[in-house]
Amino acid sequence: MKKLMNILMLSCRKATELIEKKSLDGLSYKENVQLRMHKSMCDACTAYEKQSKLLDKFLHRHIHTPIEADIPFIENNDLKERIVAKF
Amino acid sequence: MNEIADITNPSKTIKGWVELYFTSLYSWALYKTASRETAEDLIRDTFLAAFQSMDKFEGRSNPKTWLFAILNNKIADYHRRNLRSPVVSTQQQSDNTAYSLFDMLFDRNGRWIKAQQPHDWPDESEHLLDDAAFNRAMQRCIEKLPATWFSAIQMKYLEEKKGELICQELQIAPTNFWQILHRAKLQLRKCLDNNWFKK
Repeated sequence: MKKLMNILMLSCRKATELIEKKSLDGLSYKENVQLRMHKSMCDACTAYEKQSKLLDKFLHRHIHTPIEADIPFIENNDLKERIVAKF
Repeated sequence: MNEIADITNPSKTIKGWVELYFTSLYSWALYKTASRETAEDLIRDTFLAAFQSMDKFEGRSNPKTWLFAILNNKIADYHRRNLRSPVVSTQQQSDNTAYSLFDMLFDRNGRWIKAQQPHDWPDESEHLLDDAAFNRAMQRCIEKLPATWFSAIQMKYLEEKKGELICQELQIAPTNFWQILHRAKLQLRKCLDNNWFKK
């Protein structure tokens, strides 16, 4: 029984790792069972998974910012002049 | 200023383009690499590449669009290089950050330290994407990631591909890739939690 529990029990660190692996490439059958067991007992990791999915949405949108978007303009006149001087 | 390329005088044309588009391109490169040094290199390379292939431009598109296309290719190459063969200092920084991150979040048995346990964010959080202040907080959190983590995030969400495919292209181990993403997400979650949700 103890051996079985050891196979099934995940640490939170490992569970969050599997949550990320799941969204990227999917999990094996065993990993799926382990993760589900863990989440059924752990509110923190359940919350983590929800937030991880939300982060995916945030990141997707953030990284697909169109080039016309209103990003902060940052000047670098020194570099600008050096480039102009090259041509 | 005349925006039409004068291919008989590429030097004059490119100088005109630097005047017009430098700041947009440079700001974009900074936004996409979070590194001043890298942004400077990429901008230099972009104008040089444009100058050298001016004959291919032929005024078919808007010069700004063309320059951004060149720059975006160079930005993607930079992130690929970063993941494929992170320079030693970058790798070191990544490892150090990972150790201290795990130590901060989890106890010796890998359980969440009580104060670090995630608690649900408010239900309406999805609308935050339309909030400019939230997007700025997000950008600041992304910029704090070590370079290889930053690149992993950029590659994953830019390419819309399965992790496996990205790894094949980059010739890196999938385990390595999702472990980097795991760390990056843990850190981003914590950063947003501290700088937005708990404020």
